Amino acid sequence: MNRPFILLFVVLLSYSCQKGGTRFNTLSAEKTGVDFTNTLTESDDLNILDYLYFYNGGGVAIGDIDNDGLVDIFFSGNQVKNKLYLNKGNLKFEDITSNSGVGGNSSWNTGAVMADVNGDGWLDIYVCAVVGINGFGGHNELYINNQDGTFSEKAAAYGLDFDSYSSSANFFDYDLDGDLDLYLLNHAVHTSESYGKADLRLRRNYETGDKLLRNDNGKFVDVSEEASIYGGINGYGLGLAVSDLNVDGYPDIYVGNDFHEDDYYYLNNGDGTFTESLRTYFGHTSRFSMGNDVADINHDGLPDLISLDMLPDEEIPLKASEGDDNIQTQKLRIKEYGYHYQFTRNMLHVNQPDGRFIETALMSGIAATDWSWSSLFGDFDQDGEQDLFVANGIPKRPNDLDFIKFISSNQIQNKINNTKLVDQQALDMMPTGMSANYIFKGKNDLTFEDVSTQWISQEMLISGASAYGDLDNDGDLDLVTNNLNAPATIYENKTNESANYLKIKLRPNNGNTHGIGSKVYAYTNGTLQYKELFTARGFQASSQPIIHLGLGEATKVDSLKVVWPDNTFQVLRNIEANQELSITPENPKTYTYPNQENSTSPMFKAVDGNLGIQFTHVEDNYLDFNREKLIPYKVSDRGPALAVGDLNEDGKDDLLFGGSKFIPVKVFIRQDSTFAEQEYPEISEEAIKEQVSASIADFNGDNKNDIILTSGGGDFLGQSKALTDTYLVKTDSAYSLRAFPEIFQNASVVKPYDYDNDGDLDLFIGGHTETGKFGKTVPSMLLENTNGEFSINPSFAAVKGMVTDAVWSDFDGDGQTDLIVVGEWMSPIFLKNDKGTFRKTASLAITGLWQAIHPFDIDGDGDQDYLLGNWGTNSKFNATQKQPVKMYVDDFDKNGQTETVIALPKNGKYYPLEGLDALSAQMVFLRKSFNTYTSFAGKTVDEVFGKEKLAKADLLEINTLQSGYLQNNNGSFSFVPFKNELQVAPIMAFVTHDFDGDGKTEVLAGGNYFGVKPYHGRFDSFPGALIKSEKNIILGNQLGLNFTQKSLRHLHILKIDSASYLLAVFNDAAAETYQILN
Amino acid sequence: MKKVGALLCMVLLITVSCQKANEPIVITPDDYHGSVDKVTEVMIHDIFSPPVASRIYAYPNIAAYEILAKKNEGYQSLQNQLKELSGIPDPETAENLNYELAALIAHIDMNRRLIFSEDRINSYRDSLYTIWEDMNENEFAISKKYGLQVSEHIAQWMDKDNYKQTRTMPKFTVNSEDPSRWQPTPPSYMDGIEPHWSKIRAFVIDSAAQFKPTPPPPFSMEEGSDFYKEVREVYDISNEITAKGDESEEVEIAKFWDCNPYVSVTRGHLMFATKKITPGAHWIGIAKIATKKTDSDFDKTVYAYTKTSIAIADAFISCWDEKYRSNLIRPETLINEHIDDSWEPVLQTPPFPEYTSGHSVVSGAASVALTSIFGSDFAFDDDTEVPYGLPVRSFTSFYEAADEAAISRMYGGIHYRAAVEIGVKQGRDLGKFVVDNLSMSTTTQTQ
Repeated sequence: MNRPFILLFVVLLSYSCQKGGTRFNTLSAEKTGVDFTNTLTESDDLNILDYLYFYNGGGVAIGDIDNDGLVDIFFSGNQVKNKLYLNKGNLKFEDITSNSGVGGNSSWNTGAVMADVNGDGWLDIYVCAVVGINGFGGHNELYINNQDGTFSEKAAAYGLDFDSYSSSANFFDYDLDGDLDLYLLNHAVHTSESYGKADLRLRRNYETGDKLLRNDNGKFVDVSEEASIYGGINGYGLGLAVSDLNVDGYPDIYVGNDFHEDDYYYLNNGDGTFTESLRTYFGHTSRFSMGNDVADINHDGLPDLISLDMLPDEEIPLKASEGDDNIQTQKLRIKEYGYHYQFTRNMLHVNQPDGRFIETALMSGIAATDWSWSSLFGDFDQDGEQDLFVANGIPKRPNDLDFIKFISSNQIQNKINNTKLVDQQALDMMPTGMSANYIFKGKNDLTFEDVSTQWISQEMLISGASAYGDLDNDGDLDLVTNNLNAPATIYENKTNESANYLKIKLRPNNGNTHGIGSKVYAYTNGTLQYKELFTARGFQASSQPIIHLGLGEATKVDSLKVVWPDNTFQVLRNIEANQELSITPENPKTYTYPNQENSTSPMFKAVDGNLGIQFTHVEDNYLDFNREKLIPYKVSDRGPALAVGDLNEDGKDDLLFGGSKFIPVKVFIRQDSTFAEQEYPEISEEAIKEQVSASIADFNGDNKNDIILTSGGGDFLGQSKALTDTYLVKTDSAYSLRAFPEIFQNASVVKPYDYDNDGDLDLFIGGHTETGKFGKTVPSMLLENTNGEFSINPSFAAVKGMVTDAVWSDFDGDGQTDLIVVGEWMSPIFLKNDKGTFRKTASLAITGLWQAIHPFDIDGDGDQDYLLGNWGTNSKFNATQKQPVKMYVDDFDKNGQTETVIALPKNGKYYPLEGLDALSAQMVFLRKSFNTYTSFAGKTVDEVFGKEKLAKADLLEINTLQSGYLQNNNGSFSFVPFKNELQVAPIMAFVTHDFDGDGKTEVLAGGNYFGVKPYHGRFDSFPGALIKSEKNIILGNQLGLNFTQKSLRHLHILKIDSASYLLAVFNDAAAETYQILN
Repeated sequence: MKKVGALLCMVLLITVSCQKANEPIVITPDDYHGSVDKVTEVMIHDIFSPPVASRIYAYPNIAAYEILAKKNEGYQSLQNQLKELSGIPDPETAENLNYELAALIAHIDMNRRLIFSEDRINSYRDSLYTIWEDMNENEFAISKKYGLQVSEHIAQWMDKDNYKQTRTMPKFTVNSEDPSRWQPTPPSYMDGIEPHWSKIRAFVIDSAAQFKPTPPPPFSMEEGSDFYKEVREVYDISNEITAKGDESEEVEIAKFWDCNPYVSVTRGHLMFATKKITPGAHWIGIAKIATKKTDSDFDKTVYAYTKTSIAIADAFISCWDEKYRSNLIRPETLINEHIDDSWEPVLQTPPFPEYTSGHSVVSGAASVALTSIFGSDFAFDDDTEVPYGLPVRSFTSFYEAADEAAISRMYGGIHYRAAVEIGVKQGRDLGKFVVDNLSMSTTTQTQ
């Protein structure tokens, strides 16, 4: 009985003695002499209640302040004095604070950065302060290096003695005049409890507004207004990254704002001004944005960006903490108050050639690192791929739901009203948010592997500001974090000789002595590593001003292009590894940045006037989650239908677009070389219906095209007429309604084909859902055409499920056209056609959220393969064959209405996707079993509902989320997933065409989907892709397409005269046409 | 050591159980007040919205009342007076049955069913059970059996009131394209609560729409329109009284009648709640004050609670029917949008549409019910809110209190005048209907 306990104890004991992981040693203060501890002292007047950023911590800066070749460390303390440690070699440091005079005089210090502000070749130190609230005195302090180990505080002389709410600062040369300017990040303390309109940011406020300061010969001048920098009372600035993100030679700025304020993306116009451009280039951002960092993680010469948030990975804090936005609140904030899409998790924005960013954090495996402050990219294992360090932790979790709902009232209410004191007792009731820092190993496919437990100590800490530098000059990057209420951590990197490196110092001949803003393009064995030198990164910190390259096994860099901040460049070749190189400009030549638009070879060009197709689909206001609160995604947003065919017997194809509820069908008739909308009252009559699929063909054999419109919309219930489909027959010049079998489920797709070979067109109609009964499988129908009249073929009962798409295709090569059906929570179904009767052939066990199927010989072996659009891997769903996503469907509370309970695998167990509030709002009995959030948090779905209850429920599964293709191997099919670039969002549609004019056809894929709750975010990043072959897939953003931030439904090729055009139809957006240039 | 302790304990227990005296169990009005206070306390903890809280008060009181009506001919059963309520079973034996005790046990057991944190009711119940059992094991057992039997009967009736079904009905859909339509309000921007409360089976009124009020002034933000004037009035009053300071009579009135069960406060990432009783609970508190002041006996106490809680419950059904019919936008949204973007109401705006004012309707109805029992000139000192840090206020009648509760919502900046004035009338009309249509006491009817 007692033995396992003792064993556990021994294990724990030995574990705690072993400081560090396999890659990093954690060095003790005794060994290093670095004993700085950022101790917080709570008092009646100063605590988390009085100051919202009481727990944000101090700063850390790494740099060689005495130019002895050893990097030194500076820490700023919130309430304690700053400390400066001189590196004495061998990881021993000496506290020289008292002699150097950098201890500081402000009441509350925040970020700290080193930079050579006066351009004398010696690093100075700038310390930010919060001044003017809570009785905080002082000002931001600038310690000018006296070049003798002492510093003089001269902020006033430089115009940098701000007494505002500063959190961090970044010295860089924005106007390329050879000296360092400053972006000062301030934070709001906005006390109003309403969001306020987004344009609050336009009203400049001294205390809270960020500032851009231009260095005019040693005097810093506030140019914020003229440079168009926002400075309102709601800029909760916590993250600050400077990088030439659009690679045009001028450094740009990304500001991460906490809470509801949007992040700011300032593109440098090169004329002293900036243009805030977030919405154009970012589909969504982190919500509670904290620290951030920039590095090129995928070797394409474009800097990528991570922005941190506070989403926990572990179940207990995840379910016990206030979670995602309410979807209606979010909509209100976006539509009424003017904010952008923000979601509570880390975001990884991967930079694209068209300047837009693809957000991949969920797919990349770095979305949830708990209460995260600082992110640092660096090649810590020197394998040539960027790794990621994340410092996190919070002393108390103020968003703990039990605290908010059940404890705070009694504990705090009166204290606030009367004494303003939050006593220790109340604080003790908030759970601690101490946690182990994270470190991820970068791989070469946009993903990261969590190696925290292997690489670093799992000490529970509250780590904030962090910085890297080669403290022991062994070539690898060591890490330093400033911790709350614990000594600073020094992580000694032990990579040492196991992999090669190159360190580069850049020394231009001007006031920017450390070459801030320089770029390095290093090529090794055909692979590019691209680095920019900006030292202020992470959070409230600056790192050593060097370029560090990991080279793995390579012993030399083949070529090294240095682009200086003034946009001149020089190239070095055959540089030996494992050295520290110092480079100064030598005969630099003017560097010309490739113009972004010209850097791509466009295949598509948007058509002015859109060929007259002025169609904008408007989705109705119906919100599925208001009726079925627990379903994983919407059913109501699958439209509009698109059908193409000749409607006026002129031999030219016309266009029909489905409507949404109460918004009628629209018809565009082909003119000479354009289209014009034309009223067809008899077609548009049934406006109440939401047509999600349509077909134009001659169904009654009179040589005139007729129309089938199938209805969905997910709104109308039961036997509502609005759910029935429409059959319109052309007689003489008008269309008239014909009888059609009544099918009341939400249809998804109609596919005509003469399956019984009797000379007329029969129909396959895919069934998706029965309204209000999400998860209940519905039958799809085969409709037989007899003299232009349709009847349901009763012998066809093979397909039950949430069907989304189907294709008529002879998959077994027997000369008879078969049917393949795909859908959600199901595997593709292969239906072999045997003279008009169908039977299922052995199918693959790949249950997915399949959205589209398209025939294409992707491997070029002459037989038919099938491309499959799926959900992608960039969502919170995670599924494997062994551990599928599960959905239980049952009337759990016996009130006549079914509920869906989604369970996701995590560490071998299944947990409910939704939290207690969402589940119990539907199933009140859960509040009886779990009357605190703590009692619910960490419970598996079995523990929440009971195994017996779940065993009685219907169970649906997803084991495959990737899009990919079914490869035809002599008639048997195997599934091959696409590469990660095609997994960033659902793929919804494909179209075949010879796009590049090489005589062979290719397939264009498009997607994105927004019908999910804020829990998942917004799948808005997929730019489309041209699939030429298995290995040759090009993203749409390199071809002149812009499909991001729009949710595609259909792609179609229009041929007008000799030209070909691409028609792209989106949900709730305007249709687009592109000319295909070949 | 442990063994000795257990032994000692057993010995003690045996001694204690041997000492059981067969004294009669006396249940006082205070015992009943205690159970009502207990369920109020648990409701505050569990956070029930005002309509749901009104339902939680009504059923347990009805269970208790029905038991007493079996014994006391001065009170008539509510069977066939309340919708779909059939008569409770007769006790198997009247011998040794303590009706008051059975009524209290039924009350407690119904409370347990209705709230979430059962453990809190259970420990309260168990400590009382232990005492009663010690006093008279037989009387307790017989009374308990009957009390629980009636509780089960009432619960089965309760389960058919559509409450469960309304849990899965659609949420209120926010549609900001209609400028008059209600939108979520700061700081939590919560969804509109209980949009289907009108579908809950009412107790007395014919239908949720029976007391459908006249519509508010037509929506218009044109200066000079009646509606705009009402918006402006809220803003002006608010400015006027906040200028006078927190000690002004109007601010005190607003705070006294706030009765918001969950006021959320956000300070950066720190969030917390201040929790208070609901409007219904405040009037239940006034019922308690009245019964105590009149030294009412146990049966009359239960009668007063029952009648008041029925009137309140139906008032919520009537009011919520109108709220989600007119779906009117709150003053805070309009004033921020059109007049002053930094204005905040004195009280936090509750999360549901504006018209009519729930507190006004409920206060109107409750005041009629209480007046029917205690008379129209019943003066009292209202100390209901003292536990929540608010002062005592004195009233000369229930109607006076109701009128003050109504106008408090304008001072609080959360309602326009029409919602308050028409609301209190809606409540009085409804209250009168309840009083006129319920035959309960055969002796104490004063009106």
